[in-house]
Amino acid sequence: MDDKKLGLPSVISTGVGLIVATSCLLSLGQGAGSLGTGFIVSMIMALVINIFSALCMAELNAVMPNLTGGLAQYTLAGMGPFVTIVTMVGGYLLCQSIAGSVECAMFGNTINTAFNTGIPSSVFCIILLAALIFANLMGVDVFAKIQNVVVYGLIISLVAMGLIGIFGLGTGEEVVQQMNTAGSLSDCMSYLGLAFFLFIGCEFVIPLSPDVRNARKNIPLGMVLSLVIIAAMEILVIFGMGHYTAWSDLAGSASPHVLYGSSLLGTAGTIWMVLVSIFAVISTVNSCINFLSNMCAGMAKIDLLPSVFLKKNKRGAYYVGILMIGGIMIAVNATGLSNSSSLSFMILVAMVFWMISYIMQDINVLSFRHRFPKMPRTFKVPFGPVIPLLAIIGNAFMIWHIDGDPAVRASIFRIDGIIFIILAVYAVLWCRFRLKRPLFKPYEMHEVMAMENELYIPAHRSWKEKQKAAAGKAAAKPAGR
Amino acid sequence: MGLSEIEIITALNRLSSLKSALSAIGVSGMTVVQAIGCGVQNGTQEYEAEMNQEMELLPKQMVIILVEDSQIDKVVDVIKKVLFTGHIGDGKIVIKPVSNIIRVRTGEEGADALH
Repeated sequence: MDDKKLGLPSVISTGVGLIVATSCLLSLGQGAGSLGTGFIVSMIMALVINIFSALCMAELNAVMPNLTGGLAQYTLAGMGPFVTIVTMVGGYLLCQSIAGSVECAMFGNTINTAFNTGIPSSVFCIILLAALIFANLMGVDVFAKIQNVVVYGLIISLVAMGLIGIFGLGTGEEVVQQMNTAGSLSDCMSYLGLAFFLFIGCEFVIPLSPDVRNARKNIPLGMVLSLVIIAAMEILVIFGMGHYTAWSDLAGSASPHVLYGSSLLGTAGTIWMVLVSIFAVISTVNSCINFLSNMCAGMAKIDLLPSVFLKKNKRGAYYVGILMIGGIMIAVNATGLSNSSSLSFMILVAMVFWMISYIMQDINVLSFRHRFPKMPRTFKVPFGPVIPLLAIIGNAFMIWHIDGDPAVRASIFRIDGIIFIILAVYAVLWCRFRLKRPLFKPYEMHEVMAMENELYIPAHRSWKEKQKAAAGKAAAKPAGR
Repeated sequence: MGLSEIEIITALNRLSSLKSALSAIGVSGMTVVQAIGCGVQNGTQEYEAEMNQEMELLPKQMVIILVEDSQIDKVVDVIKKVLFTGHIGDGKIVIKPVSNIIRVRTGEEGADALH
């Protein structure tokens, strides 16, 4: 009997839902505002690199199936604890906290763009975050239940608005402007970082694999198709925007989707986009807090973060993680980083770490193939090492071209460098004093798999206590008999 | 044409998916024997910190199938992929040569007895 229920359409719908967020519209508006339809070239380059990385992650899932920590566990078995802590525990977690903060900032920006309240956008963000932290602590999961509906509302709205714009069916005034404002290919390359942000998150599909029919085929295919569908939808929106909104207005807007809705359909368009995006933001930020607190718990399970992250409150919520992630998001939003240029900058800072974590996965694929050539793989990326190598080169290329302005790029690398140093110090101390393991020696794969078992930590803890007690007894025993 | 016996020793809960996968590639006929045993970990659970000094025999099953030699690679590849979870206890596959097979009802021998 086959009790797996999800087919390819479900994988695609989940993938699209997980990748698309309101903050993507900020990147889309910024990119399209700066390059016009030329941004589509950046998007396609980022799409191809993301597809290559997605295929690599699907192969890793075939080698180490059904792990909750995902990328961190692959890296632990591939490169050891130091790299895992720096790129995954710190980088990935931090990066997702920033991405969640940006998404949250879109809430305040959307409200202020639509209603011009005069109240700083960050006030709305902090109120929203406080409410969502409280809801998560109470174990209330109402938004997760309506998440798919909300995300699909956003997707359908964007496709509809794109088509209305392309065919000139809007009630607003059409704008006559040059569609492609990119001067050269290097202009497009300088926007690869922003374009990359449009496609991140397809790895979140991988945990679905135990419930998917013919996962060997449907997971990789579903990830690729999700990315392609999102690209197609966003390309429609760019063409629509070009007919109704001046590129310069889009580039400067903190809520480009609301601006486009307003230019296209007037007040009705504004209300339409505000409603859809507010629900989408709430739903996404809520999932983000929930997901990240679970991720912290997953990291604590494999002993890469303090075990305090495994503590649950009476409602079964990982409250330490919720409070920490919520606190980071509040801090980021309270600093007033909600104007469009600050948000874009933060996205790019976060993207560098995200791309590095993708590079690590591409390297893990090659490393596992070398170390375990005969291991059965239900999915293997075709054409030997070509696609993982292209993914590594592509991601490195995107990091190098994270921004067209050398000063901004240097600033991004400086901040990422500081974060790296802080994480590296933590990683060295954690490996030396807590794990007592070599920094760069990979864990045995079966050990990482065993850590998934919830009895692993209690069993090892009691064994260590026994060892200590035995050592203490041996030391106390008088010698010479 | 040569014949071989493939013995698969694996966990009890793998039978259903193994049966479906083998049926899908045209393997007809299998024999399942309930067994107890352990591998190199002496029956230690994967989460445990210390390995058992003495062998702990755990419930397993042994699946026996007969195939033509030309089918071995294909069948073994499917078995490996179906049984693989990455965890300790996925099992072992043993391949043995068979000198002859006789279908008692008809007296057919060799590959004919398999079809």
